Amino acid sequence: MIHRRDARAKTIAVLVFLIALATARRNFLAVGLWYFAILVAVTIAARLPILAALARVAVVVLPFTLVFAAISLAAGEPLAAITLVGKSYLSALAVLVLLSTTPLPELLHGLEHLGVPRYLLMVVQFLYRYLFVISGEAQHMRAAARAKSGSLKRVFFDRSKFGAAAGAMGVLFARSYAHAEGIHQAMLARGFQDRFRTLSRHAFRGGDAAFLMTAVLLLAGARVAIEAWI
Amino acid sequence: MHIPDGFLATPVWAALDVAAAPAVGYLARRAQRGLEPAKVPLLGVMGAFVFAAQMINFPVGLGTSGHLVGAALLAYTLGPAAAGVVLTAILTVQALVFQDGGVLALGANVINMAIAGMLAGYLPFHLWGTGRWRRPAIFFGGFLSVLASATLALGELLLSGVVMPAAVLGVSFGLFAVSAALEGAITLAILQALASINPDFIRKPQLNRGRALAWVGLAAILLVVVGVAVASTHPDGIWKLAGETGIALHAKALLAAPLADYQLGLLQSVWLRKAGAGLAGLALIYGACMVGGRLLARPRGT
Repeated sequence: MIHRRDARAKTIAVLVFLIALATARRNFLAVGLWYFAILVAVTIAARLPILAALARVAVVVLPFTLVFAAISLAAGEPLAAITLVGKSYLSALAVLVLLSTTPLPELLHGLEHLGVPRYLLMVVQFLYRYLFVISGEAQHMRAAARAKSGSLKRVFFDRSKFGAAAGAMGVLFARSYAHAEGIHQAMLARGFQDRFRTLSRHAFRGGDAAFLMTAVLLLAGARVAIEAWI
Repeated sequence: MHIPDGFLATPVWAALDVAAAPAVGYLARRAQRGLEPAKVPLLGVMGAFVFAAQMINFPVGLGTSGHLVGAALLAYTLGPAAAGVVLTAILTVQALVFQDGGVLALGANVINMAIAGMLAGYLPFHLWGTGRWRRPAIFFGGFLSVLASATLALGELLLSGVVMPAAVLGVSFGLFAVSAALEGAITLAILQALASINPDFIRKPQLNRGRALAWVGLAAILLVVVGVAVASTHPDGIWKLAGETGIALHAKALLAAPLADYQLGLLQSVWLRKAGAGLAGLALIYGACMVGGRLLARPRGT
């Protein structure tokens, strides 16, 4: 049900979430817990693996955030520490849920409707498309270099190894550049006309409006209520 | 350093988002006009290249290794406008797909790394990229790009009230300086490898010294006007010493200086006074340098 909602509705809902979360200051514990509950409910409703999602966000966000939280704690500000961890974790989780329920091309198309420059979105789309191709090539070069290099591990700065890595990067650059030329020629041959087209027709229907209104009520409305009554 | 959501204060991330949006729009239009339409796949693939390159480790010794950030490298091969677009795309993918960096903080990260950091890295190349100082210029560019982005990020965190005692700041700066030096070395090494594969990969900076210096001038003016507002009011070392030893009591002003205490007396608010004095000082110094330069450059024997 959530997967099928229009990308624009979901994007705006997530933006409302992020802004409401970022501006929350009073009663942050209550607001944070409520928002966490909403995210968990949405994740389960979208039939995504909840534990994997929570773990993935933890791995990405916590290493950086916990350092700053520890510093804040040591300086005697536990509330600041909790706020840092809570806000960064919940924000990342919300973005993960959005990306897990919306294929990237749809999301980018929705962003285009919301006013983001098309040129930039096309670069993003190409980047994403070729990310794994180029990374794969880089991994190949790495494995080949490791297979060919000796087992001597120099303790100090090894100029030849440094230079070899730089040379490999130069080759990867040249290959990527040539790759890009070929890609463009192939696209032109298939009738590319400077814009991506998607199959679905992107109508903002009643269901999407209802979804958006529910989201705003649950997020912003609940926050106002919590801050007024607790 | 990708700033996650929840670290920056609302005025900070909101202002940076508002500032980044037109800047990115401008860069996108500039990149589109400058290159043929063929280049959209090129920009995407180069972004993928930098992404992949960030995962390759450059051995530095003692068991540690660094990796490329890529702002300077992109600017030297694609030009600053296209590099800005590619870096923005990279940051967007990192924020959305990998949750590395916040979505609301995207404006801040874009300004720090894709715009300010990239331009700071491009400036040395633009000024000295051809000629004897080419290699130090490239190293310096890589160095500046990382240092500028990291310093801006730290500044934004401080402005937002994130707790950072002096010791943490000192350690952070030390780490940034090392990363910056590493970026300079890696950028230089890769650029040299590229030069031996195909020299056309690297742009030849069309030296428009006047325009570059105009940008530096603009930055100086901005620093005076904005910096004065946030600068510390604590006395510096010499004043403190003078106060403690009692010398300050005997201090007398021999002349009535027009801009005494760095304040332009005519104006009302403290900020305007200081900024006015700063701008007047800038103008005076610029004028003095120009006149002095003209006098010194007079051909001999005339």
